[in-house]
Amino acid sequence: MRRILVLSMLALAGLALAQPKVFKGVEAGKAGGNYRVTAISDPRTFNPFVARETSSTDVIGLFLPYLTGYNPYDLKPEGYLAQSWEVRNNGLTVIFKLRQGAKWSDGQPIDADDVIFSATAHADPKVNSNSRSSFILDGQPIKWSKVDQYTVRADFPKPYAPSLIQGWYIAPEHIFGEAYKAGKIAELWTLDTPVNRIISGGPFMLESYSKGERVVLRRNPNYWGVDDKNSPVAYLERYTFTTVSDLNASLAKFLAGESDLYAAANADQVAQILERIRSGGLKGEIFPNADVTTGTNFIVFNWNHKDANKAKLFRQVKFRRAMAHLMDKKSMIEVALGGLGQPQWSPISIPVKQFFTDDVAKYDYSPQKAAALLAELGFRKKNAQGFLVDAAGKVLEFNLVTNQGNNIREKIAQIFAEDARKIGIKVNYRPIDFNELVRQLTQPAADGTRDFDAILIGLTGGIEPAFSRNVWQLNGSLHAWNLGVGGQAPKQIESFEVLIDKLMTQGATTLDPAKRREIYVQFQKVVAENVPLIYTVAPAYNPARNARIGGLFPKGQINSIVGQYPYIETVFAKE
Amino acid sequence: MWNYIARRLLQLIPTFVGATILAFVIIQIAPGDAITRFELDPTVDREQIERLRQQFGLDQPIPAQYAKWLSGVLFHGYLGISLDYRSDVWSVIRQPILNSMVLVGLSTLLIYLVAIPIGVYSAVRKYSLGDRTLTFLAFFGLAIPNFFFALIMLYFAIWVNDHAGMRLLPIGGMTDQFLGGVPRQEAPWIARTLDVLWHSILPVIVVATSGMAGLVRIMRGQMLEVLSQDYVRTARAKGVAERMVIYKHALRNAVIPLVAGIGGLLPGLIGGAGLVEVVMAWPGITPAFLQAVSAIDIYVIMGLITISTFLLIVGNLLSDLLLAWVDPRIRYN
Repeated sequence: MRRILVLSMLALAGLALAQPKVFKGVEAGKAGGNYRVTAISDPRTFNPFVARETSSTDVIGLFLPYLTGYNPYDLKPEGYLAQSWEVRNNGLTVIFKLRQGAKWSDGQPIDADDVIFSATAHADPKVNSNSRSSFILDGQPIKWSKVDQYTVRADFPKPYAPSLIQGWYIAPEHIFGEAYKAGKIAELWTLDTPVNRIISGGPFMLESYSKGERVVLRRNPNYWGVDDKNSPVAYLERYTFTTVSDLNASLAKFLAGESDLYAAANADQVAQILERIRSGGLKGEIFPNADVTTGTNFIVFNWNHKDANKAKLFRQVKFRRAMAHLMDKKSMIEVALGGLGQPQWSPISIPVKQFFTDDVAKYDYSPQKAAALLAELGFRKKNAQGFLVDAAGKVLEFNLVTNQGNNIREKIAQIFAEDARKIGIKVNYRPIDFNELVRQLTQPAADGTRDFDAILIGLTGGIEPAFSRNVWQLNGSLHAWNLGVGGQAPKQIESFEVLIDKLMTQGATTLDPAKRREIYVQFQKVVAENVPLIYTVAPAYNPARNARIGGLFPKGQINSIVGQYPYIETVFAKE
Repeated sequence: MWNYIARRLLQLIPTFVGATILAFVIIQIAPGDAITRFELDPTVDREQIERLRQQFGLDQPIPAQYAKWLSGVLFHGYLGISLDYRSDVWSVIRQPILNSMVLVGLSTLLIYLVAIPIGVYSAVRKYSLGDRTLTFLAFFGLAIPNFFFALIMLYFAIWVNDHAGMRLLPIGGMTDQFLGGVPRQEAPWIARTLDVLWHSILPVIVVATSGMAGLVRIMRGQMLEVLSQDYVRTARAKGVAERMVIYKHALRNAVIPLVAGIGGLLPGLIGGAGLVEVVMAWPGITPAFLQAVSAIDIYVIMGLITISTFLLIVGNLLSDLLLAWVDPRIRYN
């Protein structure tokens, strides 16, 4: 009898200690059901230290925890495995309190040792984790240390604003620890590992994987999350990724009701889904143009051209503004994006509301203004073929390339090239292989010159501007218009580039959100003023859904960063 | 005979080395490598990219990379590491090869089952309406691109299911997640086999139609030739029933070249069913190969080339031996 009493007291103590995270859903949900999505390719690995592409991290993110992330409603930092945190020393130290009672799916506690181990492994250059940049700040390491079993401390060499939203995965030390010491961490949790040996600390755990077909996850009964009525989440019993490598086939699956969520890529797909819903073949909804995607498309000119005349021309802000005036963004949206999209003027993606500003220099579509600016640069006369020439009779000419196979970019480039030709600029447009384009852009010769004229390319935009430091800082490896050699700043720099570099550093090290916004607003103004990258248009985000799924955002709350639902934990199947 | 086989096997070595060198060089001439696609990610820094190249040995000279790979294949049967999946090439390509074999095997069976009777019919009823219609249909199947036909079939499946109000045909894929209400991995093997067969209906039809025309024409030609031979005329003159003439005497001789061609199927099996697999989400060799090419996953590409070269050579050898066996006029000694 006494033993039972002690045991039940221990159980009660366990309950009292457990500090589950509350996931606030959009609507009241119910347990059970299967959630099905299509993926364009298989995961490459289940190992969080090896994973690089979203096809892997989309899966890993469902079964491994991270300390903090975004609140999906207001995009502010929110605790996940960390129950709370405290910022000390003017932002140089952050102390994280972990949720007590959180367990791995094999019953072991998730505690400070796991966090410290994961931070150590991610930061180790020999492991070469994709998250390594989260542990180094301007060449200096961020120190992670254990305070007690449920408290960890991070010391920064200087204050770092995004420190609370770096979602690196926490892996179980009792599985990875030995392998890490033996230098064999990459050999664990490959696609050949039996899925029941891969343990989970997230809402789901792996149930089965068949190569080229599907990954199935099942809810993790040991998960440390609850809904606002204290019922355990995730609601969903299963989460299924079906691999469909052909885009048409993945649309067909959605139309047939065999996948639950979809984002239509273009106007043609939107029309097909609308038609299917109208005809009653699909019970669901689509919201065309609900938001724009975070991806950007821009033209970059080569300031390090081996032809000194071209380099000099491309360095003229008047030249770049003239090119900006030639961007017929209205036609680009109509023709390249089928009417679904928005013009973009600044380097921060439109959906990133907390930093984005519309109040920047804009260059309306005006061939006259472009011609006038070019005349100021000396291009006043036209030759017999109708091309603009300078005083020496040299034709205003450049090559424009983009990566082959990207229909949107190909059309944008064609529209620009045609408009430029109309005012007498000889633009030689050509699509080329993506890898060749990357080589031209990122690999300068030993003397620092590169051999392209202009490239139309894009970068995936993120929510945190500090993560694009590689583009904007002077020594950044993607400082695409004026690239230095071997991680150095370029030889010849303009004053606005120094200002941008300074603003990026300030933005990353300022902690006050209001001040950060001011810094990034100024950053956007400086970029728009000097147009080192000439932005074009951003494609729309057109989410569609099957009516059987609940817990999704209503139309007004959808945004392309968070997606169609706040937390996967609170998504549920209605039937 | 053994002499001949040994000679053929010896020829395998230079053919194999030549083919793989060529493939290796072509892959290396193309710009970029497996790491290039990370270079436009603002969150990845330069050192990390360099470390990855070192890890994979991509910073070494091309001949050294090839020599290392070739010695692995020849001395250890090791096909190398997949740069994309970071695991053994064999474990990456094994399953797609088996999956493709299902599709190719079934469609080959279908082709033979349908093409031989049609060929015989066309030869016996030469220039009849039936002959012309069947020939037209066969060539239509040959002319329509496979990927396009597969797409039409996908939409056809949706249309059929809509009208039937139930899932009569699968919308792509090779297996279902649930069989009879339980997860696939818990279902009995017979249910799992039937499920794969059900999923293979549409892709097999698509693949078979494209291969049928050739075989129908060969069969028709062979049959016509045999039917004009003296012994057939003799048999007819002796009053043997027409059925017996056609099926017992003529057909047996007419199918000889088709039997001999079976060896050529081996490399066909490994070649996969082409873009049909991509469109119908059949996890076969073609999607795996395309993915490897787009990721410049050099050793997976080399692995697939190695195995198909090997099977091509073995398949040809097998063809020759079969021919010698079925046709007494051929001797290799």
